Amino acid sequence: MLSGPQKIRVKFSKTGSLKFISHLDLNRTVKSAFLRSKLPIWYTKGFNPHPKTVFSVPLSVGTASLCEFMDFKITEAVPGEVICATLNSVFPDGLRAIEAYEPTSKFHDIGWADYEIRLEIANAETYVERVKSALNEPIVIEKTTKIGTRTLDVSPFVKVLSVTEENGELALRVKLCCDDANFVNPKYVIEFLTGKLGVPGERDDYSVCRTAVYREDGVTPFK
Amino acid sequence: MKIPERILKKVEKPARYTGGEWGQVIKDKNAVDVRFAFCFPDTYEIGMSNLGLRILYHVLNSHEDTWAERAYAPWVDMEACMREENIPLWAHESGDPLKEFDILGFSVQYELCYTNVLNMLELAGIPLLSKDRDESFPVIMAGGPCTYNIEPIADYFDLCMIGEGEEVIEELVELYKEHKKKGFRKQAYLRDAAKIEGVYVPAFYEPTYNGDGTLASFRPIYDDVPVKINKRIVKDLNKSPFPTKLVLPFIQIVQDKITLEVYRGCIRGCRFCQAGMVWRPVREKTTDVLCEQAKVLADATGYDEMTLSSLSISDYSCIDKLTDELLQWTDERKISLSLPSLRVDSFTKELMEKISTVRTGSLTFAPEAGTQRLRDVINKNVRKEDLLRACRVAFEGGKTQVKLYFMQGLPTETYEDLDGIKELAESVIDEFYHTPNRPKKAPGVTLSTACFIPKPFTPFQWEAQCDMDELLARQKYLDGKIKDRKIKYNYHDAKVSRIEAVFARGDRKLNAALMEAHKRGLRFDGWDEHFNYEEWLKAFEAAGVDPSFYANRAFGEDELLPWDHIDIGVTKEFFLRERHRAYAETTTKNCRETCNGCGANRLGGERSCCPGLKK
Repeated sequence: MLSGPQKIRVKFSKTGSLKFISHLDLNRTVKSAFLRSKLPIWYTKGFNPHPKTVFSVPLSVGTASLCEFMDFKITEAVPGEVICATLNSVFPDGLRAIEAYEPTSKFHDIGWADYEIRLEIANAETYVERVKSALNEPIVIEKTTKIGTRTLDVSPFVKVLSVTEENGELALRVKLCCDDANFVNPKYVIEFLTGKLGVPGERDDYSVCRTAVYREDGVTPFK
Repeated sequence: MKIPERILKKVEKPARYTGGEWGQVIKDKNAVDVRFAFCFPDTYEIGMSNLGLRILYHVLNSHEDTWAERAYAPWVDMEACMREENIPLWAHESGDPLKEFDILGFSVQYELCYTNVLNMLELAGIPLLSKDRDESFPVIMAGGPCTYNIEPIADYFDLCMIGEGEEVIEELVELYKEHKKKGFRKQAYLRDAAKIEGVYVPAFYEPTYNGDGTLASFRPIYDDVPVKINKRIVKDLNKSPFPTKLVLPFIQIVQDKITLEVYRGCIRGCRFCQAGMVWRPVREKTTDVLCEQAKVLADATGYDEMTLSSLSISDYSCIDKLTDELLQWTDERKISLSLPSLRVDSFTKELMEKISTVRTGSLTFAPEAGTQRLRDVINKNVRKEDLLRACRVAFEGGKTQVKLYFMQGLPTETYEDLDGIKELAESVIDEFYHTPNRPKKAPGVTLSTACFIPKPFTPFQWEAQCDMDELLARQKYLDGKIKDRKIKYNYHDAKVSRIEAVFARGDRKLNAALMEAHKRGLRFDGWDEHFNYEEWLKAFEAAGVDPSFYANRAFGEDELLPWDHIDIGVTKEFFLRERHRAYAETTTKNCRETCNGCGANRLGGERSCCPGLKK
């Protein structure tokens, strides 16, 4: 027995069908998995007991991720490997626990994330250089928030890692800022590129995967 | 999952279409003999909530050689994408087009989903009419409550399962396998299938009509096909198949909780209620079995809410024992228990305290009619005192909101009965202020009225539905009468109810109207935003049928009814007797008090209240 509930952080991936699950539905999915798992999850006291689950930076519906985090509490000590194995036995395909440990950082410490963007375009190889140079210029986008639509240059918050052609697709790896104030949704980068380059075809012909998450310096992996 | 992601990104709630849920069954399609798809002609959220389909999915998938999958009606945004890109309707588990399947089993739950059945077939690239489909297409089956009178949509199905499907569906799949082995011929399969009890092959029957449009005869075209089709039931519910693993949706569905089926049938005999008649005889599960099943479901799903399902839960013979035993562990497991379908005469303080974990401030009761006279006509057997007592219990327990369900346009209804609805609501408000330890908040009563729809296999099957102007006048009348702002009044759209009435008592002539409606793009008729009454009227006109003939005409007691070839166990004589008692304003006792000789005991069944049950 622990003296009090112990905080646990689980790093997990969200791929396949799970990409299309909203943040809210992910919460429900995890909640029922917790009950199936019979792990000693700590529940809030009160009329409507629920596990207090907190997720890291939310993902847009349709975006996959290899590095999501959720925090919750347990009432008895359980080794990290056991937590992962137990959760994986009750998680649907597409949701995989990778690592479980007692966290020493806060989600607030997350500053940057890597994304892999794949665009389905005919003659993808011909776009590689054009995309590289387009991303060297100011990246002016229309950002819509609760307070309205603003036009701004997000280039300080976009770092291009690579632009290549892979299997007929244009593969773009970028590091984007994800702190509260300067959050860059990968869809802005895609919209900027398709607008700038006049990329033919449907704008929905792309896939996005979050591949890594970093602290504010953009270098130290977040854990 | 084979739907292109770019489409999933465009549509509302993409998780409706992805499949991949916890609990779905995946098999190797090359290693099974039969591929079956359960098709639900409404949205994913509604279809996933259906208990019958959960059971049947489990039944078929428990056979190694059969793979049962699921398919739902795509919402209109997805439908548009599918039509634009020629994507055929697919099954959730494999993502394979429905056209490649051996059998599609449609669950037909309500008349307003008929156009969705046609639309799903079209989206699957399958000819709509049974006669236009040869061996290269799947066999299209139907099951569910609407099969008790499937005539208005009969031309589209190859065969129908009448009654409870657990056993008959296995027999039909078994027969399919045998036929597949020797070279599948559709006609030969249907001919053999028609000999299985509970199976109705519409194409093997031929109606003739009188000059006035009523049925003259309805006969099988082959000698070896039964004249009457008997409903199937599961005799011992304790031993009936029970899903030990459920498919858990990613998104919120309508019934997003454990549904524990407690018993089938109903001891009451409300004269408008089809479910109460077609599910007879009453058959219960024992408390031990229910507790065991509840635990299995809780473990398998991780749901935190459980509802006890039946037509009238407080009529379960061991309801106290059951709730006590469940509550011993549900609290600890953070599972809240809910009891729907509570009758006012059985609503007690003890029962409410047990379900007080339910996080709602409101309670719902269904008096159905505003005066004792009319409640006697419909055999509701609920008194005003019962309702007020139940409300007082609720108020003492901290509730402030009461929802009351009524029907308008019931046989013999007068404006006095409508006044009665208003007065009943006012009495409930009065009762609140006369409850000494009432909550400190203001009370509220919500009146919801549905339009009476005469349904086959009820004592009111011969009744006419009020015509539209009269229904609207009655709604307006009641609306004008209600002055108290604590009383809210909602009513169903009379136009929707009329279409439902047409199809509920329809015959085969309506198949053409359905086709016309489909050609006009009608679907999702149960959804306000897609229901189009004017187009429906045009469809009837184009097909040359008069909707009033079905909805607004009193059928003759000696008339051959479109559903007379189906035998549900309860006899036509019983319905007639009950109809006459209704007009005499005489009530009939419930099945526990006395046997009224409805005939359903012929079907047999374990743990029933029927005397002289066939074992």
